[in-house]
Amino acid sequence: MEPNDDPKLRELLREWQLPGAPPSLDRRVLGESQPWWRNLITGSIRVPVPAVIAAFLVMLALAVSLTGRHPAPVATTVSLKEFQPVENLNVRIIRTTLEARP
Amino acid sequence: MTDSDFREAYRQHKDVLYRFAWRMTGSATVAEDLVHDCFLMLWRSTVAFDRDRGTLRSFLLGVMRNLALRHLRASHPNDPLEEECSICDPLDLETGERAAMVAKAVAALPPLQRESLILAEYEELSLDEIARVTGAELAAVKSRLHRARENLRRLLLPLLEPKGKAYGTQ
Repeated sequence: MEPNDDPKLRELLREWQLPGAPPSLDRRVLGESQPWWRNLITGSIRVPVPAVIAAFLVMLALAVSLTGRHPAPVATTVSLKEFQPVENLNVRIIRTTLEARP
Repeated sequence: MTDSDFREAYRQHKDVLYRFAWRMTGSATVAEDLVHDCFLMLWRSTVAFDRDRGTLRSFLLGVMRNLALRHLRASHPNDPLEEECSICDPLDLETGERAAMVAKAVAALPPLQRESLILAEYEELSLDEIARVTGAELAAVKSRLHRARENLRRLLLPLLEPKGKAYGTQ
């Protein structure tokens, strides 16, 4: 026993217990592979914060540009090339019954 | 080192190194990275283990200790590792679980005090082993341990003393 030993302090310190190394560390160190589809469920990647911010800004800009854009009117050109005037103009005026009433 | 030797070394010492790194850095994620780096260095023979100079456990703890201190220097470049601030600032331990309060108090220790305390109290290394792992003189290890325990007694006083006694109420 060391001269500076303190059972009370030791007992209190032992209340802070930690788990052992996680299985993910085994895979990293020993290179034990797992099915590819499992990576889709349990896999994780590390992305630098500036990259996340840049991606977010790009997505925000895309969203703004897509939602704010109205479809431009379709420009149609009218050609009078094959226009022919009507030869026999026979105008018939059709009135409604209300209009025909004096 | 053969593949089977490496696997055996990893199986035997991974948990000790992981917990030591976690307690030193305060982060499970960083601890995982540091243990990975430690075994990578062992596998690539970046660090050479000499049986005459101690056990593999002490050797790996020494490598881990250097990695942890390097991480702490990088993440807290302005914090001194030791001596000048041997008395820690008081902590707010009013709320939270006892284990979390202990973790907070240990994290508040200067790194060189912290490593000595963790190796002594949690990994149960002898003073000689701690001196070998940390590359320090035996007297320095004793001094750091003494200061670490004094700091913890002060920081954790509300948990160590009966409430009435600590706060002056009966």
